[in-house]
Amino acid sequence: MSEEKYRIMLSGYIDNELSPEEKRDFEVHLEGCADCRKELESFQKLQEVTGAMKYADIPEQVWEGYWSSLYKRMERGVGWIFISIAAIMLLCFGCYHFCADFLLNPEEPLLLRIGIGCGFIGFIILLVSIIRERLFARKRDRYDEVTR
Amino acid sequence: MKELVERYKIKAYYLALGMVGNKDEAFDISQEAFIRVYKAAGKFKPDRRFFPWFYSIIANLCKDCLKRREKWDSRQIDIDDNDFLLVAETNPEKIILKKETARNIRKAIMRLDFSSREIIMLKHFRDLSYDRIAEILKIPKGTVMSRLYYARRKLAEILSEYE
Repeated sequence: MSEEKYRIMLSGYIDNELSPEEKRDFEVHLEGCADCRKELESFQKLQEVTGAMKYADIPEQVWEGYWSSLYKRMERGVGWIFISIAAIMLLCFGCYHFCADFLLNPEEPLLLRIGIGCGFIGFIILLVSIIRERLFARKRDRYDEVTR
Repeated sequence: MKELVERYKIKAYYLALGMVGNKDEAFDISQEAFIRVYKAAGKFKPDRRFFPWFYSIIANLCKDCLKRREKWDSRQIDIDDNDFLLVAETNPEKIILKKETARNIRKAIMRLDFSSREIIMLKHFRDLSYDRIAEILKIPKGTVMSRLYYARRKLAEILSEYE
């Protein structure tokens, strides 16, 4: 067996995950390998150090309110889906009438149609850009809970 | 759904916490994971075990969160403000770790790449067996052992820089 394989077995050895044969084989190798012994020692130290640590607790009231907070979030998600559908439909309807009744209407002056058309496109681009930025900023705002 | 949430909320939160190292983001991810479960409930095959599927949702959300953090926030999270791992010992006589060591562990864990951090958190902080880790990560047991070995080596190397 290659040295690298024995090194990998180190993990299984300290976690007691080797079969009895593998364990015997590894222990024989360990006797004669100073590098593996050194690494075993460093892993055992690591285990000792991490074993003495735990996750920071979260206040009990947060768990108590977890479901209601999740429910509200799901409810709002559904609300947003409907609002988005309505907004897209209204926007499409408005764009269609704006194009059909104004931009493509030969009775309106050409220069006016081009000018308003450019302004409209610019407005849509800015609106999308601001909405996108606000959505990302809201997710990343570290001071969201700070009362000013 | 409520029953499922009550059963897995703590697991979901702590798994995410270990991977993103920030309490608020971990809380957010845990809730988002349940929303994804709810939306994708139809796709879930009843013959599969729930937790490995749920875990893959949490892991993907954590990866997205870390990518977003890299993209939008050039600063790494402040380890002092994100004390997600603490010294477990309460008896002062038995305390073998000082606060500084705990801080170093947090810093070192957050410097690991995602797959190393994931396997370290599952083994060292959730104490799962190799079989369980293999099932959750959908990898062979031998890969668990090798991944864990390289992750531990990396972690030990990083920690030695702080000593």
